[in-house]
Amino acid sequence: MKQASGMILATVLGTAAVARAQPAPGGAPSPDGKPVPVSDAAAPTGTPAPTGTPTTGVPASPYEPPPSDPGPLLGGQVDPPRDGRAGPQRRHPPMRFPEVLTTPTGWLLPAGVLYSRNAIDTGGGVTSDDRVGLGDVAEFGVATTDQVRERQLLADKPVRIQPYITASFRMGVEENRLFAGQPGVTLGFRKSFEREHAGFKTRIAELTLVASKHLGPDAAIHIGGTLWDASMQATAQVDDMPAPETTLHGHGLARQIRAFGGFEARPLPRSQILIDLGWAPDFCYQCTAETDRIKLRPELSWGVRYQVASFMHIESGVRVPDIGNFNLLDAQIFGQVTFTSFALSDAVETLK
Amino acid sequence: MQITAVRWPLHVVGPNNCHMQCGSLTLIALVIAARAAAAAPGEPAPPAAPVAAAADPGEAPAEGETVPRTPTTTLGRMFRGPFRSARLFAMPTADVIGAYVLTVSGEGSLLQQPGVLTSAGVLAVGFGDIAQLEYRHTEAIGITGLDAPVPAVGVQLKLPIPERSGIPAIGVAFRLGVPRGELLDGRNVDETVTDLYLVGRLRFTSLPWLTLHGGTRISFAKAAPAGADVVSRTLWLPTAGYELAMNPQASIIGELALAPQFQWMPAIQPAPAIGRGVLGRLGMKWRIVPSVILEGSLGYQVDDATPSEGFEAVVTWDIRLGAAVFVPWGALACRAVGVFCN
Repeated sequence: MKQASGMILATVLGTAAVARAQPAPGGAPSPDGKPVPVSDAAAPTGTPAPTGTPTTGVPASPYEPPPSDPGPLLGGQVDPPRDGRAGPQRRHPPMRFPEVLTTPTGWLLPAGVLYSRNAIDTGGGVTSDDRVGLGDVAEFGVATTDQVRERQLLADKPVRIQPYITASFRMGVEENRLFAGQPGVTLGFRKSFEREHAGFKTRIAELTLVASKHLGPDAAIHIGGTLWDASMQATAQVDDMPAPETTLHGHGLARQIRAFGGFEARPLPRSQILIDLGWAPDFCYQCTAETDRIKLRPELSWGVRYQVASFMHIESGVRVPDIGNFNLLDAQIFGQVTFTSFALSDAVETLK
Repeated sequence: MQITAVRWPLHVVGPNNCHMQCGSLTLIALVIAARAAAAAPGEPAPPAAPVAAAADPGEAPAEGETVPRTPTTTLGRMFRGPFRSARLFAMPTADVIGAYVLTVSGEGSLLQQPGVLTSAGVLAVGFGDIAQLEYRHTEAIGITGLDAPVPAVGVQLKLPIPERSGIPAIGVAFRLGVPRGELLDGRNVDETVTDLYLVGRLRFTSLPWLTLHGGTRISFAKAAPAGADVVSRTLWLPTAGYELAMNPQASIIGELALAPQFQWMPAIQPAPAIGRGVLGRLGMKWRIVPSVILEGSLGYQVDDATPSEGFEAVVTWDIRLGAAVFVPWGALACRAVGVFCN
């Protein structure tokens, strides 16, 4: 009986210990202790995903690593552990891109994540976009864009002004943050430095509000509205006075507000098909009609994004700068590479 | 059931008295085991919760909680805080940074004035637990249309009222303006703004993620153009803001305020005029580590906007980035030379 009591006690304590060691129902806890949805719990993280077929029956999320992760050098998500003494690797939140191809999404970079996208195209355009995630609620970036175009007369073929340097600040609420099914929403602002070119000083600014929603594990849609503004002023003085400034907002809100959107789908674990429709300003320096001097032109882009490694994606596709005229002779084929890094985020965590 | 009446060492438990007491113990152990199993692994144990909350940099520190100042306090512990911010972006709040703490903060705008990096800053030193002395740039719209950071020295007080849900904390801030010169058409104009802020901060137990701020800025503005009469005016300027805690480290902040606006067109105006302009900021603060806060925001009506332009003139908005660093100088001095210790 004495032995039986000891066994009972040992069994009880052992059961308690085993039960306590089990994960909580509903998914693994996130780094901040909050429960994480099943689709995100195994998303690109610092820990290798379990191998084998998922037992939940849910299709693999596009934002999850492939089932068997060979490491980034071989195209995987994480390095295999090199040092057995090292502690458990930090779980990284899922990476969602702040742009489809040219239009913003309702997703933000995670806190401390560095993002750099560099692109070239067949029209000779070279652009760069560098951002940092701030506190999971915002991001700041500096970029060069080749979307802004100029022409002397309305009938002329527009040419790009580049580099056109902009700064951006976006803030928002991540998807499913407030309630289940809530789309990710961001309010973004992008503004350029003043650019002097061809005897004119120009500036652009864009205020956007966009919502992004997953449609199942392999697709997402982005819908937003934008309030564009731009200004143009000749550098030459008229009668010792500065030349009058032409602005887009000077011609009413109807000329400023536009809708934009995008769609992305992942037919293969590492490959996405992307399409978006955005707007870009076009300056006409010698146009006689005030309303023709600054106009917004629709821009359609489509392409593919391929995940080379957890920190590297390459994208390629076609961009039609003025789809309103459906002039495919102006279309450009572009290629871009995007790097993302959790190094700063990890360093911040280490400091804490 | 006699489990409280009998104290048996385990080794003397025998067959005659085993069944009832051991059964009770087993039952109790099973209940404890079930409770332990029911608790989620990530859920903190009740006794540990206050400690975790106190150590969390994102949590609002409890009233009176300060950085320990002892010779044995480590640097890591010193810079873990807690630290309190005494402002939203430009608006003071009903908090002070605390005794033996110094904060240096600054912000820059890449886009406020085309081609020019503009900046503003605050240097504040906690004075007791209810006051702070500061040198800062206060907000006003200059004659050139810019949101001109006018320098000021100030003192900020927090009324020592016990904090309760739904009852506002009250603060008073006085900022003594230092003249700032602006050049317009070759003529220099000295602009001075002296402010008295009365601000309140409201929190609710039922809405722990929300903090409301509101108050009035009584502004004494003066414009002194070279070779012309001095113009001065007293303005009552409402100011309001809010904070939404999005996660333990970051919050979204909105601020809307009226500010003194200097206007002068020498060709048609004999003297400058002083009016009101709207300044709005929407942004976030991210406590990257307990002693460092990063700020980012976008602002309305701070560029070279003319009064005829409205909300839709987004080309006149700007983006600002800033940071605040807290230095627990009292704890450092205690550790270094043994002064200012608790």
